[in-house]
Order: sequence, then structure tokens, then C-alpha cells
Amino acid sequence: MMTRLVCLGPIALLAGIAAASPPVQPHAPGIESPGYVWNAPNEEQMIALAHRADPANGEEAYAVCRGCHQADGSGRGDAIYPQLAGQHASVLIKQMVDVRAGRRDNPKMHPFVAEWVVSSEEVADIAAYLAQLPIPPTNLKGEGTDLARGESLYVKDCATCHGAQGEGDAAEFYPRVAHQHYSYLDHESKLIRDGGRRNANPEMVKAIKGYSDADIAAVSDYMSRLTAESRPE
Amino acid sequence: MRLLAIQSLAVLAGCVGILYAPHLLAQTKGDPEIGAGIAARVCIACHADDGTSPIPNTPRLASQHATYLVKQMKDYREGRRTSEVMGNFVGALTDEEIPHVAAYYAAREAIPGVVTDPALLAPGRALYDDGNPGSGVPACSGCHGDEGEGTRRFPRLAGQDVGYTLEQMRRYAAGERTNDRGLMQAVADRMSEAETLAVAQYIASLTVLEAEED
Repeated sequence: MMTRLVCLGPIALLAGIAAASPPVQPHAPGIESPGYVWNAPNEEQMIALAHRADPANGEEAYAVCRGCHQADGSGRGDAIYPQLAGQHASVLIKQMVDVRAGRRDNPKMHPFVAEWVVSSEEVADIAAYLAQLPIPPTNLKGEGTDLARGESLYVKDCATCHGAQGEGDAAEFYPRVAHQHYSYLDHESKLIRDGGRRNANPEMVKAIKGYSDADIAAVSDYMSRLTAESRPE
Repeated sequence: MRLLAIQSLAVLAGCVGILYAPHLLAQTKGDPEIGAGIAARVCIACHADDGTSPIPNTPRLASQHATYLVKQMKDYREGRRTSEVMGNFVGALTDEEIPHVAAYYAAREAIPGVVTDPALLAPGRALYDDGNPGSGVPACSGCHGDEGEGTRRFPRLAGQDVGYTLEQMRRYAAGERTNDRGLMQAVADRMSEAETLAVAQYIASLTVLEAEED
């Protein structure tokens, strides 16, 4: 008993130090874990999807996101902050829920979307608000030097799920990729290929497994140039 | 027997509702004139009657959002926010008095702040408007508004005392102030000393003269 208490001393001390640092993002099993199922049903996602979303409340709750993703939801290509305006609400809900649960690692974003900052219902409100925003007129594009290769790769491997015009599929939780920032598409595609995006769809990992960095750059550039008018609904 | 118990419970709930409703109203609506009398007794020695203060590191309260002031007073009273002095004064205020005091200072005319190092205004503005993506500092304007005007969810910053801003940022970073859902701890922890000094100057330079309605 005594030994146990002695052992606990330093742990208690460490916990005290930890309290002075901001809480860290939790860690949940993802694609690296055996038995991983992409988009497996989970309670919070079901609550958010079932919530009758209120875009007006979403606009107010979005304040904590605005400092990075901008008032118009355009994000920042130079900072790899994705454009959120016009994205499918289902996709935004899934990604926020995954960051909250720790299936998608994003320690920079987590303190601003944590469950003690934003409720499950507000996740849905924010998503509804962003989904109905107009797609911003400008975005960061690639160098434009390899668009033919980008197009052929997109048609062969991406269009089946993300749509011929990059419009995505709200019902399937597949994001709209058209007109997204080149930097974000490039960064996330590499993470997905290399296993760092832990909430990735294994089907997509398989589809781009053989891609070189140049292939990813070419297809990202192509997607960033798909037209803003391709928005469905 | 069970039916009786349910009925009594329903009656009791009704009574609590009736008692609670005006109380709720009293919590959200304050009268600046009543607040003036309370402030004269409790607050003005430090915060003055116009919400400025001759004492260093003391917040300027004029035109601050009433919702924010109510929350801070209650947090001080209940120990969620700590201060060597505030607890003693706020502890004497009742739930009915706090919204009146908040309404009083919220209605005071904003007074331009004091910049002590104008050389820091340009870097301060850059951080305030754009944040620092490298370290994950969001733009301050995202929550606090382009002109530091704040909202009913986030405090007004425009014209705030430099020393007070710096002291709060230090307290947030050290985990000594945590009554904001941890948002500012994350932000303050990611900011360099140079960034904090600069943004405090820029905040002091912001002037939003009309009080925003809550």
C-alpha cells in the first residue's frame, strides 16, 4: 500500500503540471487499428445529424472558427486552412465530430471545437450555416503545369466518389473537392496516402496508394480549378 | 399514493416555476440607474464612475457587454475567476444587484485607450487581424470583432488597458484564468511574448465609441 502511494506521488505532481497546459486532443482508434470501419455509426454524429439545424445559431457559434477559417468560410490557402463555405453539412459534421473524438488528429483546431466549447447541436448548426454560404470567388490553385495528368488521374480514380465536377456526395459523406485550396488538397491527400489521416476511407487509401507526390500535386491542382458553379442542390 | 406523489410534485414544480421566472428576468435585465447607486457604493473606488481607473492593470469597463460583466462578477463571487481584490467586493453583491451594475457600466460612454508603445501597433494589428498560422494562433478579430467591439458571447477589447490585457494573457497562459471554456488558454499558450506585447498595444488603440446592444 505504502509503495503504491509513493509511486502515485510523481503521477499526481505530473497531473498538477498538466492542468496548467491546455487540455490535449483525445485519441481514438482510427485506420491504423485492426477492425477499423470508416464512418462507423457513433452517438455524437447521430445526434448532430438528427438535430434540426439552425443556420442563424450556427452563424453565431461559428465565431470560434472565424479566426482561422474567415468570416466568409473561405479558409486560407497560404495557411492550409480549408475552404468550408459550400461544403456538404454531412461532411462538415463528420469531420468536426472526428476531430472532437480524436479520430482525426488536429491539435491546433481541437481547443476551438472541443465538446466544452461547441455542443453536438451547434456542430450541426455551424455545418448548416457553412453549407449554405456561397462558394468564395477565389482560391489558391497549383502551378497549372500538369493539368492533363491531373485530369486523367481524377477521371480514373476520384470521380466515382467525388463526382465528375468534384461536387462530392452529401449522402455518402464524400466531400466536395471542387475549388478547394490546392494546398489543403495536396496536404490531406498525402496524409491519406501515408496513413496520417486516421479517419480516412480505406477505399481512398487504396485508390491513391501508388501516387507519387507529383501525381498528388497534379490532381490537387486539377481539383482546385473545378468550377464553383458545380455546386449541387 | 403514487398518483398523489406525482400530483404534489407537479404542484411543487409549478410553484418553483412561478418563483423562478421573475428571478430569471432579474438576472438578465439590469437597470443602469439602479446600478449607478450600487456602483457608487461598491465599484467606483477602483473602477471610477466612468469605468476607467487610475489604478494600474485594472480593466476599463465602459461600454463592455453587460452579459460579459454579469458572468465575470458571478465567476468572481463563486470562485471560478480569482483575484486578490475582486472577490471581497463582488461577494457583497446579490443576484439581483449584479445585472444592474453590469447595465450601468455597459451604458457608460467608451473612452479611448492609452497606447504606450506606438511602434508595436503594426505588428499588433497583423496578429489581431490574421493570427499566426504557424503556431495556430487564430485572428483575435474572429471572436472579438474587427474593431474589438465584442459580441454577447465575447468581450469587447477596444481601448482596454495595456497592463490589464497583459496580466490576463499571462494568467490564461499559466492556467490561472480558466473561466472561458479554455479558449484563451490555448491562444495565450501559443503566443510569443513579443506577439502578446504588440497585440495589447493594438487593442488599446482600437476605438469603438458606440456601445453595442446585447
